[in-house]
Amino acid sequence: MRIGALWNKLAEPKNIPRLFAFSLGIILIIGLIVPLALNPDQLYVRPAPQEQVDEGLAIAPYDRGGVPLKEPGNINPQYPENAESLGMITGYMSPLAEFVSSISPYFGTSIYSSPGGLIDEILYYTRGFDTILESSILMMAFIIASWLSINYTMNRKNDEGEIKKDVKKAIGDSNKVASQVKANDAKARAKQLRRDN
Amino acid sequence: MDFVTLGGNLLGTIQLGDIVLYLTPFSLFLFAVLLGFTVLIGLSKPETQVEATMHYLNNTEVKVGQKELKQRRFLAVICGIASAGAMITGDLFNFTLFMALVGILNIGIVSAVKQTSVLNSAFNYGLIAMMCSLPLFGGAAIILAATGTLSLAVLSQMPASPMVVFGAVMMLIGILGESGVAPFFASKAEMFRTAGSPYIVIIVIIHLSSLFIIVRAVEILLLVLW
Repeated sequence: MRIGALWNKLAEPKNIPRLFAFSLGIILIIGLIVPLALNPDQLYVRPAPQEQVDEGLAIAPYDRGGVPLKEPGNINPQYPENAESLGMITGYMSPLAEFVSSISPYFGTSIYSSPGGLIDEILYYTRGFDTILESSILMMAFIIASWLSINYTMNRKNDEGEIKKDVKKAIGDSNKVASQVKANDAKARAKQLRRDN
Repeated sequence: MDFVTLGGNLLGTIQLGDIVLYLTPFSLFLFAVLLGFTVLIGLSKPETQVEATMHYLNNTEVKVGQKELKQRRFLAVICGIASAGAMITGDLFNFTLFMALVGILNIGIVSAVKQTSVLNSAFNYGLIAMMCSLPLFGGAAIILAATGTLSLAVLSQMPASPMVVFGAVMMLIGILGESGVAPFFASKAEMFRTAGSPYIVIIVIIHLSSLFIIVRAVEILLLVLW
């Protein structure tokens, strides 16, 4: 195949997602043979999986210790000098959260129920800029979606020229189909006639 | 590889907690050029096209409405600022977030065009962008799991293991897809050549942001891998 033909196939928009998905699939399959292992020396440390559950702690996977405003909890930031009072509110929980954690052993199993201070410290203190970006991605997505739903760029109801063009095209298409059907019909008839004779 | 080998002398840092922005002559140059283009885009007037009809003599003028133009210009300016931010960021995850923001803004710019062919390609581009959020963030997560850090300054001092290489390849795939226009859609320039300031608001910002981000991505991958 000439390379020009390949380029022309690529220029068709609907072929590109398929090509992309195919190459992504190949890479992911290659990933199955790459040795993957978690490096235990992590930022924002957390204990090994199931360790705290086996110990029976009430806020199991998210317990990083610390007493609010007195004793810092165990968070390992990249640049501790940029966040000096880090860890001071890691262990903070609202009265309601404390009550639920006192009666249920499963309180810590979802991100919403992790100690309130922890999210504040990682998301808003050491990595605050990321949180700003994440919410601006969301805001842009809403702006685009709401603009599209108000203006509805696919709408062709009030676009007279477009409608005329489409009608013309539809008439042309149906004429083409009709003539094809006619031709096929005639062919079949001739075949049948030949067979009968 | 080191910051200094790739970008020139370190002029300073902006410290935002764990996210530290590094200012080198290279990244500052990219940052300034992108901001300059963003200002140009914000000030420029829309382009009008003439559509010829086959076999007839009636040419139609294709204009862009005020509403459509405003939306596209707004998204283009935000896109310029986002890609300028991606030029100076010194954190891997921060970079992927800038990339995701640029990707969604590019889709928004193309989807605000009232032409079915453009909307069709915007839809397909959107499919790619949706698919590649997995390799983009997954690649960054694999690099984090392998090295235990996200800071580029620390990553640049670490030797690359096979896991890091795999993460980097996944991230590259994600970046290629998210900035989709440059590697894939460049094969057909007319796809985005639509009426109304495309050459400033559409073509330039989508292509500029994806080209600049790919340059920056190459720098980041070199930092991580060498």
